[in-house]
Amino acid sequence: MMNPSKLFANFKNTILTKYGPNPAKMLIYTGVLGWFLSSAAQVVAIAVNDKIPKEQKMFLIPQEIGDGAINVVSFFLVTSVIKNFASRLVSSGRLASPKIREFLTESGINIKTKKGWKVLPDFDFSKFNIENLTNFYKIKDDYKSFKNGVDVIGMTAGSILSCNIITPVLRNKYAAQRQKKTLAEMNRIPSNKVNYPRGISMDTYQKYAAMKYSNPSLKI
Amino acid sequence: MASISSIRNFSFSRAYDKFSRRVSRAALNMVGSSENLPTVSNPKTLNAVDWIGKKLSSAENRLILGASALLSQPFIDASNKEVDAETRRYSICRTIAKIIAGTVTGYSIRKLCIKSIDAFTKSVNEIKPDMKFKNLRTLLTPTLKYTADELAQYKNTLGTILALGVMVFTNFLIDAPLTKGLTNAFTKLGGIKNDESK
Repeated sequence: MMNPSKLFANFKNTILTKYGPNPAKMLIYTGVLGWFLSSAAQVVAIAVNDKIPKEQKMFLIPQEIGDGAINVVSFFLVTSVIKNFASRLVSSGRLASPKIREFLTESGINIKTKKGWKVLPDFDFSKFNIENLTNFYKIKDDYKSFKNGVDVIGMTAGSILSCNIITPVLRNKYAAQRQKKTLAEMNRIPSNKVNYPRGISMDTYQKYAAMKYSNPSLKI
Repeated sequence: MASISSIRNFSFSRAYDKFSRRVSRAALNMVGSSENLPTVSNPKTLNAVDWIGKKLSSAENRLILGASALLSQPFIDASNKEVDAETRRYSICRTIAKIIAGTVTGYSIRKLCIKSIDAFTKSVNEIKPDMKFKNLRTLLTPTLKYTADELAQYKNTLGTILALGVMVFTNFLIDAPLTKGLTNAFTKLGGIKNDESK
């Protein structure tokens, strides 16, 4: 068995090698973890709340899990796609800084023109990766610093799009559907089998639904 | 037909990575012109890109998300026609309160945790004679070789992981009461009857 100090050193070194050179990746993974823990906390809060009847918990817990799934999936999918795209913009040489352009010109990939830089008409960006060039070490530092910046910008843009636009729209739709379904049930099931808060009006119920604690802005 | 071994070897993350790369590749061919490749040549922009890559931590990221949330989410709630007008107004107040509470606590806790991690991730040369807890100052310092930028990102990562653990509790201890207080204040300002304040 490995001793604890060796395990701890391994943990520190893994974090360093995995996220040290790639800040955007760290932001995505900790973001996903944040969403997951936030949703898990909501579920636990409902599960351990003695004031909520068992019947209501049966409705509220799956609802929270559904909310959490929308948050996590939307954040992960949208943010990673945009981050990967930003990353490929730089590694394919589509987007570059003047230093990277000069390097690509020296390497015969870009051609300098009066307007700026161009590539040959049959050049396939999707198959090209600057990092695979044999003389990549010459530009490594400048390239890494530019690429990390673009990656983080892409990641931030992706998280704004997913957390502040896509998720609230989807959640509003999902919540409205759940609310309609519950209200329909409230009108259908006899009062002695009620699975929802008793003795409140539809208006109050809607207000409670809007007040519901979980929300993208409360992401941990 | 898929064989059993291909099913066994299926990995969601690999499949997702492949999908994401395909989407990126398709989009890549649509950006800019091959005759005049987009080049970031403005020195200020280049410095900003460099700064973002090196210095932007999860705390600043949370702040940006919060600020942009204030500019978008209340309007999304306002345009939600599936609820009645009063519920809509109430949900706008609630959303603004949640964004403010979540951003303030999220940013502060992340920042504090990253600072705390920094205090125990010193190299031997950084330890001064007047420092307290000298023995613990290198507790979180990695044993492998690193650059200054990599170490900064390492501290950000550890700080963020610590912050996530802390926020499991503060989500209930600070965010929830703060959100409630702010919601009550906003609904009062908006002249909405508030059941929660009763």
